[in-house]
Amino acid sequence: MKRAGIWAAFLWLCLSGAVFAQDLQNVLQTHQQAVEKASRKTIDAVLDDLAAANAPGTQTFIQEWAGKNVWMRKEDGLFFYVSAQADKSYELIDLASGETVGVAAEKKLLKQLKPNSGVRGVLASFLVQFQLSDPDPERRIAALQAIERDADETHYGPLQASVENEPDAELKARKERLVRVLAVQFEQDETKRIDAILSFKGDLGVDARAALNPILATDLVVLSALQDPSENVAQSLSSRFTGSDMPDGVTREQAIALVQKAGLLGPIPDNDAIKSALIANMQDDMVGGFAKQDLDQQENRYQAYDALAASGLVDKRISDYDVSETLAYSNLALVYREPSSVVTDTARETLASINDAVGLNQALDLGLDALSLASIFFLAAIGLAITFGVMGVINMAHGEFIMMGAYTGYVVQQLIPNYTVSLIVAIPLAFAVTFAAGVALERLVIRWLYNRPLETLLATFGVSIALQQIAKNIFGTQARPLTSPGWLDGAWVLNDVVSISYIRIAIFALGLIFFLLLLFILNKTRLGLEVRAVTQNPRMASAMGINPDKINMLTFGLGSGIAGIAGVAIGLFAKVTSELGSDYIVQSFMTIVVGGVGNIWGALLGAGMIGTLQKGIEWLNPSNTLAAQTYMILFIILFIQIRPRGIIALKGRAAGD
Amino acid sequence: MKQSFLIRNPHILVFMGLLAVFTIAVTLMSAYAGSDVISTSFVKTLGKTLCLCLIAIAMDLVWGYCGILSLGHFAFFGIGGYMVGMWLMYERTKEIVATSMAAEALPPTPEEVREGIGTQIFGVVGGAEIPWVWYFADFLSIQLALVVLVPGLLALIFGWLAFRSRVTGVYLSILTQAMTLALSLYLFQNDSGLRGNNGLSGLQNIPGLTDVGQDTISIWFFWASAVALALGYLMAVFFTQGKFGSVIRGIRDDEARVRFLGYNVEGYKLVVFTGTAVIAGIAGALYYPQAGIINPAEIAPIASIYLAVWVAIGGRGRIYGAVIGAAFVSLLSSWFTGGGAPDISLGVYTIQWTDWWLVLLGFSFVAVTLFAPKGIGGLFDLINPAHKGEKS
Repeated sequence: MKRAGIWAAFLWLCLSGAVFAQDLQNVLQTHQQAVEKASRKTIDAVLDDLAAANAPGTQTFIQEWAGKNVWMRKEDGLFFYVSAQADKSYELIDLASGETVGVAAEKKLLKQLKPNSGVRGVLASFLVQFQLSDPDPERRIAALQAIERDADETHYGPLQASVENEPDAELKARKERLVRVLAVQFEQDETKRIDAILSFKGDLGVDARAALNPILATDLVVLSALQDPSENVAQSLSSRFTGSDMPDGVTREQAIALVQKAGLLGPIPDNDAIKSALIANMQDDMVGGFAKQDLDQQENRYQAYDALAASGLVDKRISDYDVSETLAYSNLALVYREPSSVVTDTARETLASINDAVGLNQALDLGLDALSLASIFFLAAIGLAITFGVMGVINMAHGEFIMMGAYTGYVVQQLIPNYTVSLIVAIPLAFAVTFAAGVALERLVIRWLYNRPLETLLATFGVSIALQQIAKNIFGTQARPLTSPGWLDGAWVLNDVVSISYIRIAIFALGLIFFLLLLFILNKTRLGLEVRAVTQNPRMASAMGINPDKINMLTFGLGSGIAGIAGVAIGLFAKVTSELGSDYIVQSFMTIVVGGVGNIWGALLGAGMIGTLQKGIEWLNPSNTLAAQTYMILFIILFIQIRPRGIIALKGRAAGD
Repeated sequence: MKQSFLIRNPHILVFMGLLAVFTIAVTLMSAYAGSDVISTSFVKTLGKTLCLCLIAIAMDLVWGYCGILSLGHFAFFGIGGYMVGMWLMYERTKEIVATSMAAEALPPTPEEVREGIGTQIFGVVGGAEIPWVWYFADFLSIQLALVVLVPGLLALIFGWLAFRSRVTGVYLSILTQAMTLALSLYLFQNDSGLRGNNGLSGLQNIPGLTDVGQDTISIWFFWASAVALALGYLMAVFFTQGKFGSVIRGIRDDEARVRFLGYNVEGYKLVVFTGTAVIAGIAGALYYPQAGIINPAEIAPIASIYLAVWVAIGGRGRIYGAVIGAAFVSLLSSWFTGGGAPDISLGVYTIQWTDWWLVLLGFSFVAVTLFAPKGIGGLFDLINPAHKGEKS
């Protein structure tokens, strides 16, 4: 192994330091011919010496050489970098110092070195060893990343060699892991390779799966009658083609093509082939005993074709049954490309254990997703739940209050460029704006309709149409961005499978804060007491000296204010458009209907259930989020059958219609 | 003493008379009769408006009379449209495919024709297979039956589930809205078998009648819509009179009392809900061939809410109110959004009605709900004192 020699020399040099530092040009001149006319045969000797000399500028030189930026002065054979001048002359730049050391008057005095692609490949992998041991950690990281992205066999050696002297502990761990990944793919010693494979048991890294999966790559082949014992058979398929249970990625067409290639099956004329054969053999509008106009039925075409086949003009038809039989007796098998069955078995087991771990973590990830979706629904719905519960009216304009909050956030961000400050300003301001809008709506419209709940629904719907259109007229139809502050960017990454973005964590926290705050307000304050009293029995509450009018107004304002804050939160991850509210309104209704009205716990449970359900259905059918929503709504309609008043139903008089 | 049906309901004669005069007048002024006062596209708009009046009647029955604020009747309307649209599109594509295959060396087999139709219709959603929902698309009579059966069955199942668990009031409205949303989201998918968001198109052409111009077809559909509306009106008035009408109005006013009187409230509600869904389906089946295209956006929940708006503005609890509301608001809406209304200049800002019409509609809707719960129809009480006592 010649290249191993280079590594050894290099390693030795790293250990001993550049004691014997030599001038780069001198080293190159000792191999002048080999450098000028580099080929894969001669290059190794050059690189050996370059590594041995370890002269300053070697790494740059290799890079430039591979990039065809090194030129040779013809008169003395010295190598330079050049810089083209305006007067068509060339400045010559010294390889080591980078200084201009002369001028070539004309291009023809110089010769550009153009190493072929084979040589460039050797140079590139030679560079790796420099980069992996570069004193600058940034460069080492860059080199590691390059290998992680696109590893090949030549990286394995230098990487292994560079691990031992890695000073940075974190980088060292990363290198060791990468060595194991490469060992899985490229290690020649089977025992070591199996050890490397086994070391990834239960590992969640994408790189581990990417390295292991190719080991299990298979080809579909027809095995010869006497089975070659060297074949590493994954699965024998012979009898399976009669049934329909085909393994993944194998089609009947593939199998037929393979068997035909092996000469076990003749050509199978399909309907199109039959048609063209009939057309080709048509004489006087007759073929195979049938007139042309009778060939508008497939059965007649078959008979005509069979007549042609009987007279030997065309290939015989082969029935599907015969094809299946042939396939079944053709000894078809999936064979691993990897010859060693021990390796494939180990890889399969390891992958199975990885998949178990990944599944577990995916469930966790799904749970986190569901939780964050639930907190969004909770935020969007809680205001609605309060107003619905206390006043028995449903506010169709609730979605528009959410939108109003989001646009408030957007406007604040236009005025205050600092995202963090603007967010801190926007949240209370959104609350104030929508609180005012809610109180106005209650005073102007809803209080006239308290005994007509269906009409409240319609009137607030009218408000909703108007508000939505007004927003469209002011802000236009295109989406407005509500940018989150920098510290909310990115995600909290637990491992390669589980991650959750900071925005979602923030929304979860916001939902939690509001949940606790509302619990506190409703259970521990005077206002809460009065609200609960009005919810349970407005007339009795009124008799006790509570002003239900004022309570209704404040409750409606509070519910609307929370919608405004929800709007800011939603705007942070969704685009702000005038339709923002209507996107969430139906889910909010569902949350309340499922959870039960007038109860914060109900809204919480409802949101949790809807969020989990939606994510769960999406997980079962990931390609189709529309279908997920459809099924969720169907589920809710059925759920209402079991608990018509939601999970937590109000009892007593308040439960009346 | 019991007066005859017509004398008790003079508005029937007035309505029929007006509808007949209107229909004949439009026919005479259309391109069909050689005149160019009314363009063919406007005839279609008027025909569509008649269909909207029909579904408004259905909405009025279920909401104004029975007290069920359904936000799902436009879904039934859309389903009716899809059912008839499937036949129209299938047959038309079949003609096109047959024409293009006629030139081939062998006459096409039925399988080849089907394959051609599949590619033609479902190419846009990346398929060539004809989905199972199109199984009967080749048979006009069956598709026409489905116009009635599919909305009816859907309403029956949904209504049965909802009413038996005593879901009422606002809950029921939200549930019907959810049903509509689920349906439109389902149809938006490409693998729903109904061409996803592309919907069905080219419905204005009647298969087998390629040499009949749109002038004539538009008048045919206009007449069909007018006849359907007249029949619907007559039936609606008939059913809302008499015992059935009294019971459903009783349910609207106090469900519990009617139940305690021994009536099967759920049964009555189910009949009204299903029956009106069928009417909505028929209206849709007449509407979409005039519109020429149907897609899932048509049956989004908002459409059903607009339906409620029409009925509310027209005046619910009276059949002519629904008709007036639907005709008035939908025509006004197309006048405003079509740029027909003049802009109002306020100096610093010009109100363009294409932008502000919905704001006006929204607020006037609030105003009607607050100040004129009887809607436009309430105006007739002023000239007809006999109605004054009737609760709307």
